[in-house]
Amino acid sequence: MNRTPLQSILLYGTVIFAATIILFPIFWLFNTALSTTVELTQLPPSFWPEEAQWQIFTKVWNDRPIPLWLWNSTITAVGSVILSMTVSVLAGYSLSRFSPRGSHGMGLFILTAKMLPATLLVIPLFAIFRSIGLIGSLWTLIIAHSTLIVPFTTWMLKGYFDTIPRELEQAAMVDGCSPLGAMFRVIMPVSMPGLAATALYSFVLSWADYAYARTFLVNSQGNWTANMGITTMRGEYVTDWNEIAAAAVFVAIPIMVIYLFLERYLVGGLTAGAEK
Amino acid sequence: MAKISIENVHKDYGDFTALHPFSLEIQDGEFVVLVGPSGCGKSTMLKILAGLEPATGGQIRLDDRDVTDLAPGDRDIAMVFQNYALYPHLTVRQNIGFGLKMRKVSSNQIARKVEEAAKTLGVSHLLDRKPKALSGGQRQRVALGRAIVREPQAFLMDEPLSNLDAKLRVHMRAEISALHNRIGVTTVYVTHDQIEAMTMADRVVLMRDGVIQQIADPDTLFQKPVNLFAAGFIGSPGMNLLSAAFDGAMIEMFGKQVPVNIQENAQLGGVIAGLRPEHLELGDGPVTFQVRPSLVESLGSEKYVYFHDEAHHIVRSGDAEEENDKGLIARVSHTGHLSENENLTLSFDPANLYLFDAETERAL
Amino acid sequence: MATIEQNLKPRRFDLARPSRQHLLGYILLAPAVILVALIIIYPLFISVDLSFQNVKLARIGSARKAFTLANYEKLFASPDFWLACWVTVKMVTAVTIGSLLVGVSTALLVNNKFRGRTLARLVMALPWAVPEIIAVVMFAWIFDSTFGLISWLIWKIGLTTELIAWVSTPGPAFWAITVTMIWKGFPFVSIMTLAGLQSIPDDFYAAAKVDGANALQRFRWITLPCLMPVLGVTLVLVMLWVFRDFSIIKTMTDGGPLKSTTTLSIMTYEQAFGFFKFGYASAVGVVTLIICVVASLAMLGRGSKAMY
Repeated sequence: MNRTPLQSILLYGTVIFAATIILFPIFWLFNTALSTTVELTQLPPSFWPEEAQWQIFTKVWNDRPIPLWLWNSTITAVGSVILSMTVSVLAGYSLSRFSPRGSHGMGLFILTAKMLPATLLVIPLFAIFRSIGLIGSLWTLIIAHSTLIVPFTTWMLKGYFDTIPRELEQAAMVDGCSPLGAMFRVIMPVSMPGLAATALYSFVLSWADYAYARTFLVNSQGNWTANMGITTMRGEYVTDWNEIAAAAVFVAIPIMVIYLFLERYLVGGLTAGAEK
Repeated sequence: MAKISIENVHKDYGDFTALHPFSLEIQDGEFVVLVGPSGCGKSTMLKILAGLEPATGGQIRLDDRDVTDLAPGDRDIAMVFQNYALYPHLTVRQNIGFGLKMRKVSSNQIARKVEEAAKTLGVSHLLDRKPKALSGGQRQRVALGRAIVREPQAFLMDEPLSNLDAKLRVHMRAEISALHNRIGVTTVYVTHDQIEAMTMADRVVLMRDGVIQQIADPDTLFQKPVNLFAAGFIGSPGMNLLSAAFDGAMIEMFGKQVPVNIQENAQLGGVIAGLRPEHLELGDGPVTFQVRPSLVESLGSEKYVYFHDEAHHIVRSGDAEEENDKGLIARVSHTGHLSENENLTLSFDPANLYLFDAETERAL
Repeated sequence: MATIEQNLKPRRFDLARPSRQHLLGYILLAPAVILVALIIIYPLFISVDLSFQNVKLARIGSARKAFTLANYEKLFASPDFWLACWVTVKMVTAVTIGSLLVGVSTALLVNNKFRGRTLARLVMALPWAVPEIIAVVMFAWIFDSTFGLISWLIWKIGLTTELIAWVSTPGPAFWAITVTMIWKGFPFVSIMTLAGLQSIPDDFYAAAKVDGANALQRFRWITLPCLMPVLGVTLVLVMLWVFRDFSIIKTMTDGGPLKSTTTLSIMTYEQAFGFFKFGYASAVGVVTLIICVVASLAMLGRGSKAMY
């Protein structure tokens, strides 16, 4: 495309401007983490500390139960991913290959599930888990997170499987596979990119939950997830902003790393799931 | 190698009948082509033969073995798909050997058989590649290799050449025929292309809307079409069809009286006369008439002459509506220039006429 | 007449038989159906059930209390409820419009071909990757009343004479939340819009150029109409997200000050786990859900299939 120099400058200028504004809060977080308390409690705010306090990270890591929180979030996320993916891969495949009889009903259900506020579902789930005596265990989260994940991933996976021609399973069956065999030996290996992207997306969804964590784990400090832990770092009157910023960095990094891997598939996955 | 016996197989989807009762006896080693326009049920029949779809009724026997409700993998058949359906995550070698592996054949045997099949199809040099690194023609050959390696009792082919470009299609057509002559396995081949049907088949099964129109070898199908649809479908360009008045002994065509010999009583419905474009000649003949061409297409040594005839209603059966406007076609040998809008003399021999009952569309 | 030794073991329950092939569909769907029934449908029924009871702290298995409409009556008579509705509507509108504007603009920007475009795309959508709680940490500090950047900036520019206590003043608190949500929400709009833009065939633009349309006309007559379906769906999804949001509001302002940021979602939670009135809270939740469903269907109409 032929652009005049002026158009180029305008374009690049706008892009840089937009990127700066968007990234600013992230930058500010690092800035805050690396500043001393003195620098943080003076005006005008400094845009970069005189001496970057890198040791804040080790301090926060050792002082606060951050490793524990991250660990809990990770286990919960991994558990949720395993549970949700198992269920939604099978269901998504079924919806893709087998009759539309269940399709419309499932579609309507997913529609409603996307509208369900977690704050509504948390009430009965709390009652249920309490009766079973699971309150305080990470299992409640693993199960509860599936309510957040399965509606999205089932449809994403259906859309993804739709792009794989049915002839592949047919060829496998003629070659001697059972329908299940065809699914596992042929379709699954071929679907790896889509499956991986969906799994990562599920991980992100689980990591992001706060409502369920706060409700089910409030009294079990040993099981707190990262999101819960961070919020408790905000004191009633005084907050050590550099500490909480450093902790925030720890919590944000895993997801941002996943995002970098996921970005390529994100568009496809989200649009397959939401747009048809 | 086996004979296939299809007895009254039919397929319904709720109220809709995709396939009316279909019966056919296929001899051992025969190459049968199911041909017809889209939606005629040919692919459905093939899928039922393969076991990929259940029939609503009827029986299928493979060499006197009832396979009607047998799993695809248990029928000892192989299938070639329109989109090749090669396993993308496996190499060519693994693709070809997949069926053998599923049947727990020893790996030595698999290796040997795969090499043999690859050699037969000329893909030995591609064995370690993945499908995405192959061209369309190569993929089709690998798909064929996957089919022959198991030495099944029958081959089923679902429009395997449709995705290839025209030149490659002609080439692969010859290859498949040669392969069949060599190996001699009973083959059921589905296509919408009547040229493939005519050139490759031992017998052709012409289908339309789920009903068999005619079962015959290619020559018979060409020379003795049993109804209007068969007459119009086979042959390129399609047969000219016009309605003509019949008075008991003659029909009127192009303003001339033409004597015809009709055995049955067709007076009630009127008659449709069919004339293949290649049976129209330039100059005088048994029945001669004048036309003014609306279009002349030159193919070098042949010409297609398009002309209209207002006196007759041009009939087109089937879905070829667009061809209707062009009118009638004559295919003549002529080099040099033929101009449009100048009177031209054409003639034909009444012996080459095909006659059909206008009502029932059956041949007379 | 097979010349190869083939060992096909006979299967007892053979799903590969044509007559049985369709059964696999049901079998595969079963786990999902069971899971969903257990953790979504059953709890949903419990919710509705609770909303019709005067229940404080619910316990499954204990005797059901009497059926009563009291919760709903109280709900519709309560000024807090209507305030929450109003706050929700305001927030949904503000965040949706904001996200739409920023999202579509960034998508249009990044849709051009230029060097560093992939990097720009990555950057534009980065806020999506930041967990909501972390976003709150970022913005709570930026909006801090005493030392926050924004307070100082606005004071410095001269828009205010004294530092605004963002989080503790009703009006500014609302905007602090809105800005945070827009920052978190626009990448989704951006990604969806970008996908929509890229699915518009180049031929359309080429044909328009040949017909003499300028850039603005091309945008109005080609880009916008083709984008409408995508934007419609995206709009509804953003709307639903704001409706449902809990993390951002709870941790930033906890619904305050003076309930100026209490949405229906927050109110539901508060009533349940703040005041331990499960019955009443369920009623609020059910009403919220109904509003959501009605609003979404109204916006999409028959296009609701696109939402799947």
